[in-house]
Amino acid sequence: MTPLQILDMAHRFGRRIVLRRVTLRVEPGECAVLYGANGSGKSTLLSLLATRLRIQQGSCLLGDVNLQTHGDLARRYIVLIGHHSHLYGHLSPMENLLFFRDMHQVAADMDALADAIGAVGLEPFAHQPVRWFSAGMKKRLSLARLLIARPRLLLLDEPYSALDQDGVSWLNGVIHRFQHQGGLVVMASHDPEKVQPLRHTPWHLHGGLLQSVTESHRC
Amino acid sequence: MNRLLAWNRWLGWGTLLLLSACLWMVFHVPMDYQQGNAVRILYVHVPSAKMALFVYLILTLFSIWYLWKKSETADILAEAAAYVGAAFALVTLVSGSLWGKPMWGTWWAWDARLTSMLVLLILYVGIIALRNAFDDTVKGGRATAILAIFGAVDLPIIHFSVVWWRTLHQPPSFNQSASGPTITGPLLPPLIWMSVAFVLLGMFLLLLKAREIQQRRTLDAMELERASHA
Amino acid sequence: MLKAIYRLAWKDVIADFRHRSTFSSMLFFAIAVLLVFQAAFEPDPQEAQRLVPGLLWSTVLFTTILGLGRVFQAEEENGALEGLLLAPLPRGAIFFGKWLGNLVLSLLVMTMLVPLTLVLFNVTIWGHVPMLLLLLFLGTMGLTALGVLLAAMTQTARSRETLLALLLLPLVAPLLIAGVQSMNSVIASGSLTGPWLNLLLIFDVVYLALAPWGFGWLMEE
Repeated sequence: MTPLQILDMAHRFGRRIVLRRVTLRVEPGECAVLYGANGSGKSTLLSLLATRLRIQQGSCLLGDVNLQTHGDLARRYIVLIGHHSHLYGHLSPMENLLFFRDMHQVAADMDALADAIGAVGLEPFAHQPVRWFSAGMKKRLSLARLLIARPRLLLLDEPYSALDQDGVSWLNGVIHRFQHQGGLVVMASHDPEKVQPLRHTPWHLHGGLLQSVTESHRC
Repeated sequence: MNRLLAWNRWLGWGTLLLLSACLWMVFHVPMDYQQGNAVRILYVHVPSAKMALFVYLILTLFSIWYLWKKSETADILAEAAAYVGAAFALVTLVSGSLWGKPMWGTWWAWDARLTSMLVLLILYVGIIALRNAFDDTVKGGRATAILAIFGAVDLPIIHFSVVWWRTLHQPPSFNQSASGPTITGPLLPPLIWMSVAFVLLGMFLLLLKAREIQQRRTLDAMELERASHA
Repeated sequence: MLKAIYRLAWKDVIADFRHRSTFSSMLFFAIAVLLVFQAAFEPDPQEAQRLVPGLLWSTVLFTTILGLGRVFQAEEENGALEGLLLAPLPRGAIFFGKWLGNLVLSLLVMTMLVPLTLVLFNVTIWGHVPMLLLLLFLGTMGLTALGVLLAAMTQTARSRETLLALLLLPLVAPLLIAGVQSMNSVIASGSLTGPWLNLLLIFDVVYLALAPWGFGWLMEE
């Protein structure tokens, strides 16, 4: 099992500096939760970890894979569930998962896909276009990807938004199992209460710097 | 870059001086026995055609530099180059058409060189339009740089296809002009000096435009800063 | 990786037949363009035969632009483009997937366009139809390769459809010339050789090699 090591990472958009200097180490089975105001750079950091954004300064290692130089390889081990569901409205849940499976080159047969859809409670809608789904249903479907992908690093951007009570506890269960198997989780959130049941390390992102929560409380 | 911009005023005066000297020379060369006074238009037409192409080469180099090094200076110079190049291409087309009327009897002929130049002008306009269609300068800069490089690859293909096409269909009477008017003897030195003057003019305009773009971007950045604090 | 490219193209083609119907709008737009040409030129059969290459290529060009305007429409919904870029694939593979989907739809339109044109303009050169189709297919490969790249380039820009046409038309000038000239020689002599065919192939090779690379730079952030 492999740790995630972020070393002195900085990022700017044009002239605007978003991250000044971020250093973070996440051990297998650990869940790092990023708190911070809107625009504090949480999503930018997650996009950098997902190799969606090119690393401008500093370095990031997932095990021995360098995210900066081996993005294509690193993406095999990373799944990001973000603000956007990345779903295609004209495809059914089954087809969306099939698409995800082939794009991510995951080994999973049709039964596994059907099981994943059943696990998020969308079985009755498995063959209807996603377009008409509610925000919560879309969220559940995008989370169903976790069940077939089995990543090493799981990146979650506001995973609890649009989920009901049952959804939250189901998701916490999934994350808990994932942690137990030695997976790495980095999550951005605004809901300390919903994260509470999880074993996690809280961090605070402010002014482009990452501080551990106990430290920032002292300030 | 800022120091370079400060010297640009002197470059401007130098260009003006050389251009006036060249114009004096152009009006003192003997008339061409075939083309008459119209030959004098060529002293503007030929250098600006060369510059329109040369500026595209520079634009391509700045674009590669920008994609490679992410340098904002390269991006600003690339943006400025598109305007300067478009201006030269336009001057080439207009002067070519003015020359064509007494020579060919028409304002416009689908001559291979004129057609390529027209495509080049549309390409310049496309590059400018693409840049202006983005609010985000980084995104706009990257898209424009890639387009410019694609254009650079395409331009030789365009040129050769147009040449093949026109030589296939050209009525013989135009053939002479398609191969381009040749200037020799006492007519040549003013052309060389004029070309030098146009290179200076191009540099001056490029830096002038670059300064304007730089100032506008700084203002935009300040505006954004203020908006985000408010 | 081939599976991913296939799946991406499959997704776009399925989408089109289920919902967005780019195919049928392209086809009827092509018919409308032919109608415009007929009204504008009123060619007699002999003139029409001379005009056929030009008619076909200009119609193909306009229809392709219409189709290209929608290439990344599905990706705008729910941030799906980001989803594609998160897949463990080289950017080039994503480009080829999008290109293949667009190519299939364009080729379907062209297959119907050629006989339609001959019927509507009363040109009886049915023996040349396979050759004409082959030339259109060859041209469309390069045309859509460049077009999909430009569609990606203008996707987040303002007034993108106008911009797409403005950028595409000058760059495909060689393709148009080569396409029309090679069709002329097919209709005149029935043979498919010569420099124009080579130019068509050069255009295809250059753009199929460069466009994935350009797409990679474009998606780099």
